[in-house]
Amino acid sequence: MFYRDRLSFEEEDFKLKVGFLHFSSCSGCQVAFLDMFEEAVEILDTVELVYSNMLTKRRDIPRMDVAFVEGALCVEDPHHINLLREVGKKAKVIVAIGGCAAFGGVRRLSCGNQLPQPQSQTFVPVTEVEFLRTKVKYAIPGCPPNPSLLYSFLLALLEVNEDFLLPFELMTSSTKASGFDIISEVVNKGFCVGCGTCSTACPTRAISFNRECGKPSFNSNLCVHCGSCLAACPQSFKPYPQPVYV
Amino acid sequence: MVGLNRRFLIGDFRGAFVVEGKGKNPIESIFRLMIKHKFIDGLLTCSKTGDSPKLILKSDEVELPSRNTCFGVNSLLKRAIQKYRFSRLAVYAPACTFDGLNKTQYFGIGCNWTKTAISLKVGFLCPGLLTENGFTAEVSDITGKPGKVERFYFDRGELFYLLEDGSSVKVSPSIHHHYINSACRYCLNMAAKGTDITCVSLKEEDKVLFIVRSERGWSTLAHLQKVSPGEVLFRKADGELLTSVENFLREKILLNIADIVERVELGLPVPKWNDNKLRKFYRIWNSVDVNFEEEVF
Ligand code: SF4
Ligand code: SF4
Ligand code: SF4
Ligand code: SF4
Repeated sequence: MFYRDRLSFEEEDFKLKVGFLHFSSCSGCQVAFLDMFEEAVEILDTVELVYSNMLTKRRDIPRMDVAFVEGALCVEDPHHINLLREVGKKAKVIVAIGGCAAFGGVRRLSCGNQLPQPQSQTFVPVTEVEFLRTKVKYAIPGCPPNPSLLYSFLLALLEVNEDFLLPFELMTSSTKASGFDIISEVVNKGFCVGCGTCSTACPTRAISFNRECGKPSFNSNLCVHCGSCLAACPQSFKPYPQPVYV
Repeated sequence: MVGLNRRFLIGDFRGAFVVEGKGKNPIESIFRLMIKHKFIDGLLTCSKTGDSPKLILKSDEVELPSRNTCFGVNSLLKRAIQKYRFSRLAVYAPACTFDGLNKTQYFGIGCNWTKTAISLKVGFLCPGLLTENGFTAEVSDITGKPGKVERFYFDRGELFYLLEDGSSVKVSPSIHHHYINSACRYCLNMAAKGTDITCVSLKEEDKVLFIVRSERGWSTLAHLQKVSPGEVLFRKADGELLTSVENFLREKILLNIADIVERVELGLPVPKWNDNKLRKFYRIWNSVDVNFEEEVF
């Protein structure tokens, strides 16, 4: 696989070098990542955190196998443009983590293209940046993503579980996501079974459940474009194994 | 190749039993006992009418949907697991609710740490769900007059509704197929294969057929019998009963397959990020040498 291309699987001291890079974001994704580490004791000896603005002291960005990138890129910010070049150079693979990096997230609500107020700058998710197109391999939905998702994702990366990783690969080519996906992609296409998973997945209660028709309903004013709802819906991707009973 | 045999229609299971309860509904009695003896700390299901999801915390509050309607169950998942911090939750719902739940457990999307919070999954054999309006239209189509559905059950391979006025009506699969939720028309897992136990409502209200699939389902029931002997009685189901269930599923699934084939042939769209399970099924349905056991529908 990409980050192990010159390494043998049997190599005993193999450690996956991961870094955490921060564009315009609330750092919630990084905090979720740290929450995940509490549960991930058994994989800690195969992962090395080489860079994080919150956890490591180094200022320069080292080379790394996987860069987890949180936040959207602010087009007006020279620091972000530098960071973009650095991450493009130093990371073998980029994972856009959370709604901001993957689909624009809450930054989609920014009202204009002007410094200095953050709410009125211009933001794009890293999945939209042509320069990183070949490097951004996966996008992880959520605002923030569940620590349990990050844990399972990291495990899948280490085990090269391609079935697990495939949907996250597909999400990189879909730079926009919102709760309206649930209506247009599932309900309108006649696939909604009324299970309510989308509504539990929504961090902002933008999706509620309409009892009369047994289907979700969407309030666009509350949506932060994180993509969790469609990702959680059993009628979007479904390549997980059915539990096998013997 | 897909053979519409027992393995495809009902799925693998360890044993099938007719369960009889002292109270009216043996499944309700079982959940009551499970809460009372602290096997579970809550039960996630729907209200009796099936139109709103419900989180049940006390044994005397146990009441399950009696009609083939049960919407929105997973919408309470986060409340149960992240707010109340339940770690031994039981869920009673149709198969597609478990698809959402199993996906959440496998990927970790939707609700955090669902993987370790669910103690028992009980699915019901589901002929397709209807909304209140759907029931009204279906009943008047069959009987020619309005009527309110109280419960649904299976008898000798046929689907029946018990109406509020005490009468029973036979529901033919083709009429039923017309009124159910659109997504149910493409369902290939009406027997709830991803659960620990599938239960099938029978004509007698105090009896139900349990299809026990997992070790967890098996040991939970064994443990329950040990702590409250005689409360619920288990009798091995005879082959005829299982064959009648299989026959109903075969008749209904053929209608679903016809709709899937039509949908694929017309090229009607599927959601983005979809691995297109309908097209996958279509390929397998039309081929002779693909092993369907490997696939999830
Ligand atoms: S996705 Fe949400 S949690 Fe993550 S950085 Fe953006 S706003 Fe914060
Ligand atoms: S509706 Fe909710 S879950 Fe869906 S994209 Fe919007 S905020 Fe995210
Ligand atoms: S998650 Fe369930 S309720 Fe929501 S859109 Fe998907 S099928 Fe419908
Ligand atoms: S028929 Fe299938 S899709 Fe419809 S509610 Fe029942 S289990 Fe779900």
